[in-house]
Amino acid sequence: MMLGIATETATAATLTDAVPARISMRDLEFFYGANRALKGINLDLPERQITGMIGPSGCGKSTLLRVLNRMYDLYPGQRATGQVWMDGVNILDDGIELNYLRSRVGMVFQKPTPFAMSIYNNIAFGVRLHESLGKAAMDERVEWSLTRAALWDEAKDRLNSSALGLSGGQQQRLCIARTIAVRPEVILFDEPTSALDPISTLKIEELLDELKKDFTIAIVTHNMQQAARCADQVAFFYLGELVEVGAAAQIFTAPTQKRTQEYITGRFG
Amino acid sequence: MTDTPQHIVKSYEQELNRLRDLLTQMGGIVESQVAACTDAVVERDGDAANRAIELDPKVDALEREAEQFIIRLLALRQPMAGDLRAIVAALKCAGDLERIGDYAANVAKRSIVLAQFNMPYSMGGIAHMCQLVQENLKSIIDAVGENNVELAVEVWRSDARIDEIYNALFRELITYMMEDPRNITPCAHLLFIAKNLERIGDHATNIAETIYYSVTGEPLLEGRPKGDNSAYAVVRPPEEDTP
Repeated sequence: MMLGIATETATAATLTDAVPARISMRDLEFFYGANRALKGINLDLPERQITGMIGPSGCGKSTLLRVLNRMYDLYPGQRATGQVWMDGVNILDDGIELNYLRSRVGMVFQKPTPFAMSIYNNIAFGVRLHESLGKAAMDERVEWSLTRAALWDEAKDRLNSSALGLSGGQQQRLCIARTIAVRPEVILFDEPTSALDPISTLKIEELLDELKKDFTIAIVTHNMQQAARCADQVAFFYLGELVEVGAAAQIFTAPTQKRTQEYITGRFG
Repeated sequence: MTDTPQHIVKSYEQELNRLRDLLTQMGGIVESQVAACTDAVVERDGDAANRAIELDPKVDALEREAEQFIIRLLALRQPMAGDLRAIVAALKCAGDLERIGDYAANVAKRSIVLAQFNMPYSMGGIAHMCQLVQENLKSIIDAVGENNVELAVEVWRSDARIDEIYNALFRELITYMMEDPRNITPCAHLLFIAKNLERIGDHATNIAETIYYSVTGEPLLEGRPKGDNSAYAVVRPPEEDTP
């Protein structure tokens, strides 16, 4: 569980007071070389809820996702300061085991990125990195993951076919199945439906609603209506700052900050 | 939010402006209706009564137009935040204005019956009520046009005065009816006229609350000084007072 973290800044106070935070960011800053891309972020991701992150391009929302599973470690010259607390551990600490962190904080990207292998192996591949399961247990895990990702009925008769034969929407659900197969606690979605048609988009949104029963979810989206439809909590970012965070219904009906109001009503810039 | 910048999509901005124009147009007609029905009652002016009645279908038509326009806006623009509040507020205001128009027409119809009777008593109370209702209506329509919260709150507060006069009229008219059964027909009509005017005041306060929410995003929760007590009023004939 979370260790006692003081919430001294006004922006950190949010919705659903009763819901504990799965991840707590405190004074988080991020640098691309000398360029400060995130400025003093204080934000909680409430457990088993969906946090939508909105804001114009370059506002820092995708950067924030990349901090949460230390993706930025792959790139030299990028660094984060402050704290990101998860289960009493600051995941920005040097001693963190990154493979383990990434199995607990999974990520789904904008474009579906299936591996050029069978549907079955797309899922088993990630699981094998973290666990050694027997055939029956692996079969069970694959079925569980595909079922949770609402793809089992469509994929069960073609598990050994190439994943590349799936439609875009199916491929994205496969990527979600692959992410949940390692049983993470948090799933990060970076514009997961921007390459999908409206029906596939709705299927993913319905899936998000199902997944939040088990996982804490953060989703970056440029589609305001999507954030309104999916998110419990919405955070608005601008120029690397967290301008406002609150319950989705509050942000989209009566935001307190002028910049939020202007952005979501299309009166920006 | 007067310092709000223009919407990036100009046609959306134009549609929001058109919606406001529709409401002020409706408000203008309803204002003339209430002015005409006032003349009809206080001055016993039959032409004014007919004007108030004839304007009503125009208000109804404008309400339908506003409703259709708003449903279209909601579907096609998917408004958020301040825009969403303004559009839903417009829908509610259109409904309130339409009801005000109905009440004004009803007052006008009753004034035609009333004109057939001699009035042995003062019309001062009704005239005063008409004046206050007209003032509130004018202010609230201005507040809609300007998104003026202060003006809306002023109207909201001053409705208590209208209720007070209504309560006094209620007792006065019942007393007249008890004094002479020949007074019952005109006084019953006058009572309905007073009630209609009181309801017009209530719809103006509804609009005030709607504007307040639309502009601030907060409901106007503070208790309003009430109000219409006539529901509890008992006026007894004098002989019951003696043991």
